[in-house]
Amino acid sequence: MSEAQIDPRIVLEVRDLSKRYPGVVALDRVSLHVKRHEVIGLAGENGAGKSTLLKALVGLVQPDSGSIEVRGTPVHVQNVADAARHGIGMVFQEQSLVPNISAAENILLGCEGRAVRAGIFRTRTLRRLAQAQLDKIGCTVDPGARTETLTFAERQMVEIAKVLGIEERTSVEPIILLDEPTSVLEPEEVEILFGQIQRLREHASVIFVSHRLDEVMRVSDRVYVLRGGQVAGEVDPSRAVPSQLHELMIGTADTGNHYHEDLQARTPPHRPRIVVDSLSGDGFHDVSIDVRQGEIVAIAGVHGSGREDLCRALFGAGQIISGEVTLDGSSLSLTSPRSAVAAGIGYVPAERKVEGMVPVLSVAQNMTLARTELVCRGPLLDHRREAQLVDAWIERLNIRTPSRNTGLGRLSGGNQQKVVLARWLLGDGLKVLLLDHPTRGLDVGAKSEVYLLMRNLANSGVAILLLADSLEEAIAMSDRVFVMNDGEVVSCVPSPPGAKPEPIEIVREMV
Amino acid sequence: MVHTDVTPLVKDEGASSERPARSPVFTRARLLSLMPIVAMVGLAAALTVANPRFIEPRSLVALVDSAAPLAMLAAGATVVVMCGGIDLSIATLASLTSVLLALWVPTLGIGAVPAVVGVAAVAGFIQGTIHVVFRIPSFIVTLGGMTVFSAAALVISGASTIPLVDTGATDWAFTRIGGQVPSSIVITLLAITLISLVMRLTPAGRWVSAIGYSEPAARLAGLPVAAVKLTAFTLSGACAGMAGVLLVARTFSGAPALADSLLLPAVAAIVVGGTAITGGHGGVWRTVAGALIVTMLRVGLSVVGVDSAYESILYGTIIIIAVALTMDRSKVSTVK
Amino acid sequence: MSVQSMESGTRTKGRPAHARGDLIQDFGPAVALVALVAIFAMVSPQFRTVSNLQNVLDSAAVLAVVTVGITFVLLMGSIDLSATGVMAACALSVSLLVANTRNSLDLGTAGVVLAILMGGAFGLLSGLVFVVLKVPSFMTTLGVAAIGIGVATVLFSGIQPSINDESLLGWASNRVLGFTQMTILAAICVIAGWAIQRYTRLGRYASAIGGGEEVLALSGVRVGPYKVAVFALAGCFYGLAAAMVTSQLGSGIVQAGGDYTFAAITAAVVGGTLLSGGRGGVLHSTVGVLIITVLANGLILIGVSPYVQRGVQGLIVVIAVGAAAWPLRRRMTVVK
Repeated sequence: MSEAQIDPRIVLEVRDLSKRYPGVVALDRVSLHVKRHEVIGLAGENGAGKSTLLKALVGLVQPDSGSIEVRGTPVHVQNVADAARHGIGMVFQEQSLVPNISAAENILLGCEGRAVRAGIFRTRTLRRLAQAQLDKIGCTVDPGARTETLTFAERQMVEIAKVLGIEERTSVEPIILLDEPTSVLEPEEVEILFGQIQRLREHASVIFVSHRLDEVMRVSDRVYVLRGGQVAGEVDPSRAVPSQLHELMIGTADTGNHYHEDLQARTPPHRPRIVVDSLSGDGFHDVSIDVRQGEIVAIAGVHGSGREDLCRALFGAGQIISGEVTLDGSSLSLTSPRSAVAAGIGYVPAERKVEGMVPVLSVAQNMTLARTELVCRGPLLDHRREAQLVDAWIERLNIRTPSRNTGLGRLSGGNQQKVVLARWLLGDGLKVLLLDHPTRGLDVGAKSEVYLLMRNLANSGVAILLLADSLEEAIAMSDRVFVMNDGEVVSCVPSPPGAKPEPIEIVREMV
Repeated sequence: MVHTDVTPLVKDEGASSERPARSPVFTRARLLSLMPIVAMVGLAAALTVANPRFIEPRSLVALVDSAAPLAMLAAGATVVVMCGGIDLSIATLASLTSVLLALWVPTLGIGAVPAVVGVAAVAGFIQGTIHVVFRIPSFIVTLGGMTVFSAAALVISGASTIPLVDTGATDWAFTRIGGQVPSSIVITLLAITLISLVMRLTPAGRWVSAIGYSEPAARLAGLPVAAVKLTAFTLSGACAGMAGVLLVARTFSGAPALADSLLLPAVAAIVVGGTAITGGHGGVWRTVAGALIVTMLRVGLSVVGVDSAYESILYGTIIIIAVALTMDRSKVSTVK
Repeated sequence: MSVQSMESGTRTKGRPAHARGDLIQDFGPAVALVALVAIFAMVSPQFRTVSNLQNVLDSAAVLAVVTVGITFVLLMGSIDLSATGVMAACALSVSLLVANTRNSLDLGTAGVVLAILMGGAFGLLSGLVFVVLKVPSFMTTLGVAAIGIGVATVLFSGIQPSINDESLLGWASNRVLGFTQMTILAAICVIAGWAIQRYTRLGRYASAIGGGEEVLALSGVRVGPYKVAVFALAGCFYGLAAAMVTSQLGSGIVQAGGDYTFAAITAAVVGGTLLSGGRGGVLHSTVGVLIITVLANGLILIGVSPYVQRGVQGLIVVIAVGAAAWPLRRRMTVVK
């Protein structure tokens, strides 16, 4: 007997929803329910499954198993328009408004109804209908304004107004999904948003996702905490304490030697390798950090913290406005990735498929891409030398491939990543390695191999900067953790082997 | 295989269940790779059936000879397409080259040839620079270039044909070696071989492929993206210049619109040969095959008795079909 | 959708669009137009006569109609290189459908309507290939242009058809309020084009597709049919322009399409209709048409060769695109 028959107030029920990607479990038998006029909070780390769950509810992702029931009826949501028909709408994290048309047009996009007669727009009706939606949340934005002239907060309200249109079209109360709506808002704007959410609750049900626990606690009636694709717990915010939530988010599982902590050097490295001094650029400002020889330094931070921008800037792939970077004492001019490579810096980007590898080239060609001069004699390629070098690394890194000439696109994710990593290991010149989410999308075995490689590299003197997928990874792997928030470095937490900090200490700074 | 004296950095834990994907022999990609060869053979067979004299050595040589300037013209542009761009200016640049050559032969003699090829290379270089520095899409830069070169040719020549005064300067490009083999074929093959060898024996080939297929990845691997693109455009210009020289050699004059009508056949040669406009895949030898196919189609039309007016329709259709077939669709999510 | 992409993408504090940047884009070209007129008026006494200014508008008529059509495609973020070819086919068609020297048809206005529909049919072809086969628009329309030229050549079959239809000829010769009938017709087209862009769903969705196609798809709009419709609409404008050119020339020729593709793109871009889509519009493009025409007229009056003009146009479009893209250059790290 479904819960809706027991409790007619339940508008949305998710049962045992699961979703796997190659090598990764995104959702693992997730079950939750939402009651009418309730605000449900979803909390969890990056990668815990919050976004995947929302995308499954709105039809952007098809679950492998499990069911979704809306008001007691099982539904199969095929796409966003389908979700709207069932009363589910989402305000996306990356805004989904067309910038060069008016707010009113965006609100009524795809469902202009009476505002368009015989293919002709009736502007007054359009305005009226759009205004009705905006009034529901008390938004004072001019519906005729061109969307790109609005501030981020105003655009968000337009998106909410757009989602509320579901009510008119389906004559049921909508279920509204808010995906990280506050991460780029100013504090005053956050207050306004919370006011709107209270208004929303009068004729809708809301699922509110945020990494900011204080907000989630304030706004929600109940909070589900996700961890590793599973529901770690359900919490009543009026009675819970933030640290309880932290525990649920991060867990206390014993990781065994997954992170090869036994290889972490007991005496902390002390000779500085790369020193960043008051660096400002696109997305970060006044950052001063350093990484020592043989050290692994992690930077922790949420979306918008600026850590990815900093990492790219250190590789010459971002904008540096002011400040200085020195490597082994000499100042660097990081104008392009080429200059960074020449200085001995390597970078493994987060988006492996698009930015890391060239799928159409072979394993060997990809591996030698950055240091092609190592396999050349003069201007000509030395295929024998390449074969030797590449084969050696294939063996060393245990890369599973039919041959060195196989197209890289055919290998599995873990092996692809190893090839991309190997790119920077050829020759002797590597001094600094910037790793941007290096284990993303890899299964447990592949991750462990990468961690082992990182340990060995560090112990041979390479300075490693790590942007980790999870806080657990960051703490376990690093000697120190810098925390970035809103473009600035807010603290530095030591993480020596045997005396690792509690994740709670760091999460506090991140949010 | 070198055995390293350092212990393996990564132990085989056996935990990873990842295996590389099995590769079926007849993938779509392999089939498409062979498409030009199949088309060539099929067309040759069809033409022989229609006219048995087609397969005679003399007629075959004539066919390849007439395809040579087209192949030369399209060769450099092929490298640009492999880098992910397009060069629409090659035809009018060849026309401009023909005008310059006819004008400069009286004073420079045979030295006019390297001079005009040099000018054409510079023209390509300038277009490449504008594309790279100002980040203007290559098809706009070369569309503009196309117009500028056409205008220049018209102005310099006074909109009239300029006869070649001293054919000695270009005879070598339109003679028969050993009385049998047309020199234009040899020259074109030499150029294509040179380009192909450079691409294969130096890192250039893989760099071009990387840039064409995944420019972000190429950039983040530290590749000299700007330099490679500039070289491609310069090469395209030089090949267009050389094509102009070949044309002057056989028409004994330079004219402001001499090669203009070759743009479409050149683009057709590139795409029919199998070079993908999405970048990464392709090669200059494929363009040679494409040029032969395009020329055979043209010959075929007249053999079958179809009006040459239909050529244009044919080019348009095969360009569309060839591109539709060779595009890498996984790369293009929204087509613009 | 992979796990990678779901967590990717840093959220940026979206800054509202600069009002100042908009002003430049909206009024810059108009100011440039006024400046041009003023400069030429000062430099050339012939320029500032009333009859010359009427001349300018008359000579802008055909380009204006073509540019209105191409504007819709540009708003979507695509490109249309087929205008010249489509115009050629439609010009030959109209000259064979109205009273002419080659056959005994005399369809009058119906003939013109049929030519417009033929243009629409070509546009439909472009749109279908673009949407169904997903071939990028510049390749698709390049192919369709070739097909159009081919159709025109076939229809021409060596004998030029001269038209005898009085009313069609009258478009170019009869005057209303000092302007030719054609100019009035062009003005009506501009107004109609503006109305379509601003008030109809087709027009507004075209702009929305250029600004955020994915958003439309997410909102449940089937984008494909609108794209096809936009290409068909553009084709209809090209068909009408073909009739106008035929009226000017008095007969149907394959070169009827002239240089209009390139000139129309230049005009649109100069007027502020960006290649990236979602910006500008019919009014912007029309200002661009006037700028190009005033420039051409003025240059001729001060003695500059018409060929140099074409070259100047080529430079202008490259500069205009570069200037428009300059503020975005940091984001456009991959340019194809």
